[in-house]
Amino acid sequence: MRIVVLVKPVPDPASGGERLGANGRLDRAAVPAVVNGNDEYALEAALKLTAAAPEGSEVTLLSMAPASAPETLRKALAMGATRGVHVTDPALAGSCAVSTAKVLAAALKQLEFDLVLAGVDTSDGLGGTVPAAVAAYLGLPFLSYAARIEPDEPAGTVRVRRISPTGYDLLEAPMPALISCTQALGEPRYPTLKGIMAARSKEIATRSLADLELDPSTVGGAVATTQVLATKVPPARGATEVVRGTPDEGATRIVEFLAQRRII
Amino acid sequence: MFEPFAEVPAYPLVFPIFWGAAAFFALAMARHLRVFAVARPSRPFANIPARLIGLVQYAFVQTKMFKDMRAGLMHAGIFWGFVLLTIGTADIVTGGIVQAVLSAPFEGALWAAISAIQNVVALIVLVSIAWAYVRRLVTRPARLTFNRDALVILAMIGGVVATELLAQTAQVARYGDIRGAFVSNALAVPLRGLSPSALEGAFSLLWWGHIALVAAFLCYLPFSKHLHIATSFPNILFRKLAPRGELPQMELEDETATFGLKTLQDLGWKDLLDGFTCTECGRCQAACPAWATGKPLNPKTFIMGIRDMAVDAEHGIDLIPNSPIVRETYGLDDTRPAAAALARPIVDTAIPYDAVWDCVTCGACVEACPVLIEHVDKIVGLRRNLVLEESRFPAELTPAFRAMENQGNPWGQPASARTDWTRGLPFDVPVVADLAAAGGLDDLEVLYWVGCAAAFDPRNQKVARAVATCLHAAGVNFAILGQEESCTGDPARRMGNDYVFQILAAGNVDTLNRYAMGERAIVTACPHCFNTIGNEYGQLGGAFKIVHHSTYLAELVASGRLATLPEDATSTTGDHRPGAVTVHDSCYLARYNNVVTAPRSVLAAAGVTVTEMERSGKATFCCGAGGGRMWMEETRGTRINAERARQVVETGAATVATSCPFCMVMLSDGLAAADGGQAVATLDVSEVLAARIAAAPPDRRLPVIAG
Repeated sequence: MRIVVLVKPVPDPASGGERLGANGRLDRAAVPAVVNGNDEYALEAALKLTAAAPEGSEVTLLSMAPASAPETLRKALAMGATRGVHVTDPALAGSCAVSTAKVLAAALKQLEFDLVLAGVDTSDGLGGTVPAAVAAYLGLPFLSYAARIEPDEPAGTVRVRRISPTGYDLLEAPMPALISCTQALGEPRYPTLKGIMAARSKEIATRSLADLELDPSTVGGAVATTQVLATKVPPARGATEVVRGTPDEGATRIVEFLAQRRII
Repeated sequence: MFEPFAEVPAYPLVFPIFWGAAAFFALAMARHLRVFAVARPSRPFANIPARLIGLVQYAFVQTKMFKDMRAGLMHAGIFWGFVLLTIGTADIVTGGIVQAVLSAPFEGALWAAISAIQNVVALIVLVSIAWAYVRRLVTRPARLTFNRDALVILAMIGGVVATELLAQTAQVARYGDIRGAFVSNALAVPLRGLSPSALEGAFSLLWWGHIALVAAFLCYLPFSKHLHIATSFPNILFRKLAPRGELPQMELEDETATFGLKTLQDLGWKDLLDGFTCTECGRCQAACPAWATGKPLNPKTFIMGIRDMAVDAEHGIDLIPNSPIVRETYGLDDTRPAAAALARPIVDTAIPYDAVWDCVTCGACVEACPVLIEHVDKIVGLRRNLVLEESRFPAELTPAFRAMENQGNPWGQPASARTDWTRGLPFDVPVVADLAAAGGLDDLEVLYWVGCAAAFDPRNQKVARAVATCLHAAGVNFAILGQEESCTGDPARRMGNDYVFQILAAGNVDTLNRYAMGERAIVTACPHCFNTIGNEYGQLGGAFKIVHHSTYLAELVASGRLATLPEDATSTTGDHRPGAVTVHDSCYLARYNNVVTAPRSVLAAAGVTVTEMERSGKATFCCGAGGGRMWMEETRGTRINAERARQVVETGAATVATSCPFCMVMLSDGLAAADGGQAVATLDVSEVLAARIAAAPPDRRLPVIAG
């Protein structure tokens, strides 16, 4: 089983310092980058699937990201991915979701795979459209919100349990297919020290737009389909009050609290 | 003509019997050492004088044994009795040379005195043995392991001593008084009427019984837990002399190495010696907070488990070793430790997987052990292997590891929030980087190392404000690192993640050195930061003088820089006198680093009288947060902090004073659950002191202090 996992370095959400620059683009220097959380779940799913059938299996990371990305990609390689492909080009700065999907699709055309896995969305943009758009560009079956992935290699199909508003849908599609992955797939592993060491010497191939045979004028900030006009930081949360005491005291205090705010 | 033992029939048989047994003992011990040879090298040879002093203190005076006074006296009785009676045995097995030599001075008075002493100690040993039997058969203290081994050993010692004494008695009855042997002489009086042949028969039987028991004892010993009589001396001599809070250094760049401890071969031979030294006395078990709260961790069975593994590995090694020449000549194979036993993982053989994670690394077991066995370093070694090689650890640790790696603190808070605690203080807390930029670093007296807990945990932020208030009130020129501070790596290291520890520690060493902080004091209110910076940063090339805030504040008061209110005065900030106070000692402060009096001095300066808990000072009982347990769920047994809270409530104190941010969190929670409210307050010693600062100018008053 050959799996490509789409991976995006994002500003560490826990750092609390994520902000946009004057041009409406992410200020990447302000906070350290980490692998997008949902992508780690996709990678974990890919590693489990290939571990189940290791013969001829490989997991390739594919990322479109600025030049600094390999440092972050090594952390994903440390989890156990085989190699990485890093698409980077100065012309890609300011890309919208459509550009991103176009570029990732072009890069995937140069790779061999049975499945493409991606996180359902990324914690910086939260658009959640790229996986579907990549599938559309490549004409691949798109299975979204996967909570379980069961490939049947001899039959050349894959079954996915898709989270639906009412429970689960059971979907089946021929491979190759693209699957967007949720956290229901299981916690990502913590890399071992040997994994971290091995990742240092794993291959990360760099691809420019020219390598992908894409015209720089068709992608990037200049032709972005969306533009960020303004951003606002949510107000800080107020102080938390913890009520302690006997049930009666606690209830009295909670009623008082709600009454003061005219909620009851 | 000197004719020793002329009255003993077939006396020369002593030589083959005793020396044969002694040779068997030596061969069995040598076989133990063959397993030691496959273990990693240990090099505990530095500082011989300190090692010898320790040998006197722990092996001969046995200071640790007397913490349990009655058991200590019993043990001393048997030990010294055994040592002194060995003189007689040595005389027998050497054909009377000892007596011949020692009879020469003072016309035999010396030997007579020795005979008298031997008579006395024989009685003491017999009484002690009887006492030991009562403990094992009647009173049965929980810490002891009840098996046949102990009963057999006691019977053998008792038998050896009793037969010796009674043989002498029969000898006296038959042949007349022995000079000095007053007990035998007295016991023989009623027997003098018996026929000479009966007395001779009894004497022969008892005398040879004594020799048979001595020989049997030598043959039994190498396979018995009682082996400690041979191993405790080297174990004490080769003990860890580094600060107890300094975990072994770890080489992370060797890709072929096993990281941490996986099998017997990853242990050092000193670790195996620990196993062969354990006597199952159970002092570690009795002191262990995990065991006390019903968890699967038992430090005693862990150490005995390592010994059992080593013994298992001995199967396959012949008792009589072949030399290489003999092997070559006769085409024999060398016998080696059993490969399967050597490959077996320690986890789930000597210690259950869950128990590895139950350890709070509080060191109570190490402190309690009379023969200085190191339990904690081995448990962390097992964690290192599980984390770094197998990625096998409680799921809750993943976010803590990632937060330490990415945010530099286990809370996962942004570095930008590190100075949030200073908000609301009526004075500015300078940041080192700003001082350096302004060229004001030279005047800096003290770096206040805040620590992650005090920076991010709301309750401990109040402690940070109290510490800063005290420093400010005393006019100390201090500053903090602010955003440049990160976790010292203590939790990562004790959870087995030495990779993250080394990243964090190297970063901090670098930061501290950049500002030349090795040249001035670093003060911290966190015993974990205190231990790691002080005892472990040396491994990364950091040499810093770190002082715990209790010590520093006590000095400020003692030197008169920080004035406190008279006892009857009401504080300007309202009376925060905390009523009856008890002290909870932090493991990493009191037990690991001997800081016991300083927190009490601070409380005394605040005019507080302390009621001590039973488990206090170096014998303190962990709050449950050490060893990274702060970030793990406590699902097995009852909660350690609840048990400690119960001990606090028992004192009747209105306040428990802490000097550690983790203890603060654990005890606040434990007490809230224990009494359903806030009947017992938890205050840091600095908070108690801050409330009693005298004549603080209005801008130096502490705005908020109560819990």
